[in-house]
Amino acid sequence: MKLNIHSYILPIVTLALLASSCNKQLEQYNPGGLTAEAVFSTPEGFETLVNAAYSYERWWYGKEEGYCASEMGTDIWDAGQAAPDPGLTDYVNLQGSDDYLTGLWQDLYAAVNICNYGIVYVDKAGLAPAMKTTRLAELRFLRAFYYWHITETWGASPMPLTPTEGIETTASKVSVDSIYQQIFNDLTFADDNLPVTTGDYGRVTKPAAEAFLARMYLTRGMNQQASDMADKVINNYGFHLVQHYADLWPMDKMAAAEDSEVIYAVNYTENKSLDDAQDDILFPFGHSRGGNNGHLDFLMKYDDQPGMQRSIEYGRPFVRFMPTRFLLELFNDKIDARYTGSFQTAWYCNNAATAPAGMQPGDTAVVVTKEAVSQQERDSKPYRIYDINDTYNSDGSVKDNQHFVQLSKFMDPTRSSINEQVSARDVFVIRLAEMYLIAGEAQFKMNNPQKAADYINVVRERAALPGDQALMEVKPADITLDFIMDEWAREFAGEQLRWFTLKREDKLIDRVKAGNPNAAAGIQSYHTLRPIPQTELDAVTNPNDFKQNPGYQ
Amino acid sequence: MLFLLLSWPAFAQTRKITGTVTDSSTGSALPGVTVRILNTQNGTQTDAKGNFLLQTETTGAVTLQVSYLGYANLQKTVTGNTAGIIQMSPEINNINEVVVVGYGEVKKRDLTGSVVSIKGDEVTKIPSTNVMESLQGKIPGADIVRSNGSSNAGTTVLLRGHRSLAGGNDPLYIVDGAIYSHIEDLNPADVQSMEVLKDASATAIYGSRGANGVIIVTTKSGTLGAPKVSLNVYGGLTDVAEYPHYMTGPEYVAFQRQAYRTTGKWNSEADDPNIFNAAELADIKNNTWTNYRDLLIHRGNEQNYEINISGGSEKTKAFFSAGFNRNKGLFKFDHTNKYTARLNIIHNISNLFQAGMNSQITFYDISSESDPLNEANKIIPLGAAYDSTGALAIYPENGPQLNPLVNEAIPNNYADNTKASRLLTTAFVQITPLEGLSLRSNISVTLNNSREGIFNGRYSLDRNGGDPRSQYQSSRGTDILWENILTYKKQLGNHHFTLTGVTSYQSDQSDNGNGQGDGQLIPSQLYYGLGNATTGLVASTGYVETKLISFTGRLNYDWKGKYLLTLTGRTDGSSKLAPGNKWAFFPSAAAAWRISQENFLANSKTVSNLKLRASYGVAGNDPLDAYSIQSLLTNISFGYGETSAPGYGFSPQIGNKDLKWELSATKDIGLDFGLWNDRVSASVDWYDTRTSDLLLPRLLPTSTGVQSVVQNIGKTRNTGIEVSLSTVNIQSGAIKWTSSVTFTSNKEEIVSLATGGQNDIADGWFIGHPTAVFYDYQKVGIWQTDQADEAAKYGQTPGTIHVKDEDGDGKITTSDRSILGAAVPKWSGGLSNTISYKGFDLNVYVFARIGQMINANYLRFKSGTYENQAMHDYWTPENETNAFPRPNSNGGLQYLSTLQYVSGSFAKIRLISLGYTLPKSLTDSWKMRNLRIYVTAKDPFTFSSTQNYDPERGGSENFPMTKSFLVGANIDF
Repeated sequence: MKLNIHSYILPIVTLALLASSCNKQLEQYNPGGLTAEAVFSTPEGFETLVNAAYSYERWWYGKEEGYCASEMGTDIWDAGQAAPDPGLTDYVNLQGSDDYLTGLWQDLYAAVNICNYGIVYVDKAGLAPAMKTTRLAELRFLRAFYYWHITETWGASPMPLTPTEGIETTASKVSVDSIYQQIFNDLTFADDNLPVTTGDYGRVTKPAAEAFLARMYLTRGMNQQASDMADKVINNYGFHLVQHYADLWPMDKMAAAEDSEVIYAVNYTENKSLDDAQDDILFPFGHSRGGNNGHLDFLMKYDDQPGMQRSIEYGRPFVRFMPTRFLLELFNDKIDARYTGSFQTAWYCNNAATAPAGMQPGDTAVVVTKEAVSQQERDSKPYRIYDINDTYNSDGSVKDNQHFVQLSKFMDPTRSSINEQVSARDVFVIRLAEMYLIAGEAQFKMNNPQKAADYINVVRERAALPGDQALMEVKPADITLDFIMDEWAREFAGEQLRWFTLKREDKLIDRVKAGNPNAAAGIQSYHTLRPIPQTELDAVTNPNDFKQNPGYQ
Repeated sequence: MLFLLLSWPAFAQTRKITGTVTDSSTGSALPGVTVRILNTQNGTQTDAKGNFLLQTETTGAVTLQVSYLGYANLQKTVTGNTAGIIQMSPEINNINEVVVVGYGEVKKRDLTGSVVSIKGDEVTKIPSTNVMESLQGKIPGADIVRSNGSSNAGTTVLLRGHRSLAGGNDPLYIVDGAIYSHIEDLNPADVQSMEVLKDASATAIYGSRGANGVIIVTTKSGTLGAPKVSLNVYGGLTDVAEYPHYMTGPEYVAFQRQAYRTTGKWNSEADDPNIFNAAELADIKNNTWTNYRDLLIHRGNEQNYEINISGGSEKTKAFFSAGFNRNKGLFKFDHTNKYTARLNIIHNISNLFQAGMNSQITFYDISSESDPLNEANKIIPLGAAYDSTGALAIYPENGPQLNPLVNEAIPNNYADNTKASRLLTTAFVQITPLEGLSLRSNISVTLNNSREGIFNGRYSLDRNGGDPRSQYQSSRGTDILWENILTYKKQLGNHHFTLTGVTSYQSDQSDNGNGQGDGQLIPSQLYYGLGNATTGLVASTGYVETKLISFTGRLNYDWKGKYLLTLTGRTDGSSKLAPGNKWAFFPSAAAAWRISQENFLANSKTVSNLKLRASYGVAGNDPLDAYSIQSLLTNISFGYGETSAPGYGFSPQIGNKDLKWELSATKDIGLDFGLWNDRVSASVDWYDTRTSDLLLPRLLPTSTGVQSVVQNIGKTRNTGIEVSLSTVNIQSGAIKWTSSVTFTSNKEEIVSLATGGQNDIADGWFIGHPTAVFYDYQKVGIWQTDQADEAAKYGQTPGTIHVKDEDGDGKITTSDRSILGAAVPKWSGGLSNTISYKGFDLNVYVFARIGQMINANYLRFKSGTYENQAMHDYWTPENETNAFPRPNSNGGLQYLSTLQYVSGSFAKIRLISLGYTLPKSLTDSWKMRNLRIYVTAKDPFTFSSTQNYDPERGGSENFPMTKSFLVGANIDF
């Protein structure tokens, strides 16, 4: 019977042990997971928050989604053969279901949320006072920067200023004026507290905050402040224009440009493990492609031409976006270096196997030109020619969406392979040239054409071909708002500013109608605001208060 | 059951009773029959020749109780030392079968809950390596779907509809008392029986674990007497069942011409140079094009070998099995080798103690294919896969798309190999200190080990020109379940009581390590030389732990076997829930009335069995994810300049600090009946499950900066009926024809949501509808030329999609979207017919799922892109169809998603199997007990309204469903 006693004891002891230790046993143990409370409350942890807050810039800059939202649907770009989003390029059935806008909305607000967390809890991070002020200033700059993208894209929008820490199911729109008020608050704080320089390339600095502030003043019609602020940036920090416009773009001259002309850039890295491509380990919720993708999107279909094959030098042609005829004709390439500084028009034979008789590697294989070329001249050349009338109809609409004068600013022959999609090119968000155009535009609007011309001519002088400075100079009498709009296009084509530039001066609709026949067929007056993502509208529990922007389904 | 067969102490016994047990119909000896002296624990089992020997001190008449699975129990009174030949009759009537229920077993006639029992031979009838696949359509209320057509595809099992959205919907699998989610690891031939517990009273003893139903698997155990050897062998070929037709080169060219014709850029072939590039023009001229799918899909094959040996003595019984299955799928890199072994031992230490151990090891060697069909369906068909020198064209025609053949055609360009082993060991000790009282302590341990090595070369589908990448992912896990079960049986007159008490402690813990590196110089190193990566060498580790602690009590009571009552209470604590909400109590009650035992039916010739059952119970569910209450951070790779500056952002899912149990209350009323000596037997159940505090992964407005949360919101209701019916249609002489039908109809609806009375459009949840519905515009047709004016009112032109103006306001807005259908079937059912004639047996099994809608990927209409697609009946001015719109090179067509919603209803001949059992005279001379050979066709025919597409795949184009033809043999020595 001894055994029997033991057999009773076993379950009884078991029960007692279990009961006493139950609740302790059921405590969650998650040594592999990180929480905001644990990480962001230390100085080192807080740095990772700030780093994260910057990282969201990469979702907009140098990405197809960002190009579509900031350059497409304007007077200067049209859809290439493989355009990804006809809603944004040509206003074809643009609705709240648009994937690119849905993603950008989500990423911009995720960025705002992490900024808000840092701004609210910075006191708990244990940072040294000076560092605390600097990091707070950076976060407030970033929040303003993100809200500018939000409110210009969607107009009145939600404006949370505290982090989301519980379940929020409603959204309410805050007026554009109120959002700008917040932007100015944040930027003023940033301007007052940021250091003038940084050793960490990509971090925001005082001049960058001021340059962005100048852009904001201009956007809000505060012309005197815009001009003053631009002046401050031009005069106080030792920036200077790169001597040759074309030298802004080669990969090996990028660092030099960043040392002289670039005021603020989004940083991409050669080290791919610091890149933003989705990676189960490094970045589980990263971008599907990663890196700067500008080198893919603007290229024409060259690799099937006689004498050509795809190469690292000429890039991987995605044929997404092509210039409008209108854009090409804005340039007087006889005197303006920005045409050849921005576009590629000739390809040299790199494939003897498909070269026509008489063509050697290195010889011209393809020429695309904004001129008209006679049949006689074509017959006299061994290479393929696409002239302006091959690519465009006379009304400017596109005839051939594969072969066009291509934007070459973002090409990257330093990639590791022909088809590598990731480029380490930094995205120049603000260049010194913009300060001159901001001041010029502001002065023009304050009826000071002479001052306007003075500013604009600085940019035009740098753009002039050697000896053509005088020809490039614009007279005060010749300056109109449209001329200024044209000048922005010549200087910044492809640099993710165009849509905002036109919208700022209420020129979007008119100029699309004038310059972009394909998009003109689709554009409506309500297209100055983008549709709010349908996912957002469907998810809110106050759909009667929070509605789609006018005009959309 | 074997545990109860404890031998009584063997001293002072003088009388020996011998006898032989045979089958009354065939006269052949029955081995393994339990023979016991009535009302004692003194019993034994017959040996291989059907003989038994019992020793007793009782003199005079003793009554022997003889029982054997599948045969009617009988009693025989013996006065002398020999019982002679005892003939047992096979049971048509199966109500005396013993059925395993949670923490115990009862006779089927004593069940108060809804339980379906399947015997092992039913499982092995369908040659398959996954036991659940063999059960498709055999269990009313169970929706069992093959996940896909790849070689290591599992099955998705849903009992009585979706209850939960964020919690799991998988039933709980119990293998020999151990919780074991990897049901696919089991060797089907090892299965003795499977019981499917569906209503809350049957599952209540499992508390929160049982909310989605419970499937209890009992594996075979050793048998007394000479060792028995069984061999199961089959092999066969696998082919793609059906696949949509994708555009050929000429069809693609015609489509693109039409697309550009629409936008005025193509009027005749003279305009081809405007829309095709130089290489494509040459291909058109030379009619060069490739059907990549045909190059990728090969014929698969399968071979399977299983052997098992069972034997034992009075003291110790053992069952041993080993199996090997090799399944080669349709793609080059899709193949799975599965190795299994099992050893079950049970030992009687003394009269009081019994101990045993069941252990199973499964080892997989899996090569996984990435998804080449996705690329094959996209790539422009023009051009050749190989150039004139026979080398693979990596980017055919220098196009944007990678050749779908790169992974398989370039040596050392792709590898994805998983080696996984899982060991399940359950050990128990049982003590029976008093008559009717037993204490049992079970400990089961599951050890998981897995590693996956992946290499993707530069021109693999995954890297697409990027640096080669090697990955090495390993994980290990330890799941421990410790349970103590006390059972006490007591009879007081006509009152029978059984009390069961259980304590249960479960701890599941796993961790993993992943490494990755890029730029490997020598591709042939695959994932073995990770340290040689030139860039991007990174590593990560992870840890997950969950715990569940439970206390359970159950009372089974019956009076004269007529009135039955089961009361259960269980309390569970889960580590996954918020502090303060961790514990919940799950009560249940069930009653049954065996009407056929009443006097007025006792002598009925018509009604042989009639039982009415009713139950009510509450079950629970905790979330799938261990850490849903926490807001976690996620890595962001970042840098300033070239200096690393890692970031942590918020995970898209925010934590919910109030998370609590989801509760499901189920009412179930069931009727079991048998007619004409059970020539017809049936079981009908009606149930109503109301789930509250539903766990939902809910989408949030993304302006909050996060995307989703797991939340207790809303209520759902599932009501349905389940019918199973078995008939013996013909039983005369050598011919026997039996049929069985199962039918299930479940209605799933959302009753309320956290949004108040409002539907949650973002998640697609609508009050009064199932949880998975398709909500979109409704396609009316295509705007035709003569409707141009009407179309213009909606901003459309002829050839575009005409959707319904649901609210009739004259314009199409998002409020015109409506619920088009549900992803769940209205009903499903199976019909199985078995005809045997002499040595031949023929089984035909038909399965149907009706009423569900699928979103079929192959119906995607791509316009304005340079990608291939399925051949659609598209609109042109010459072909005014209502099926698909007019191609448009500018793209931007609206409402394309409306083209993809189609009926997913299908009926399938799941199985045709013809077997022949060789005559006994022949097999006896070969020293075999039994030899059956068979040919089987699996899924040979599918009937559906989708063309060239098997809707069972659920809309996806990847890993198409297969059909296979197998030849096999069952041999017993």
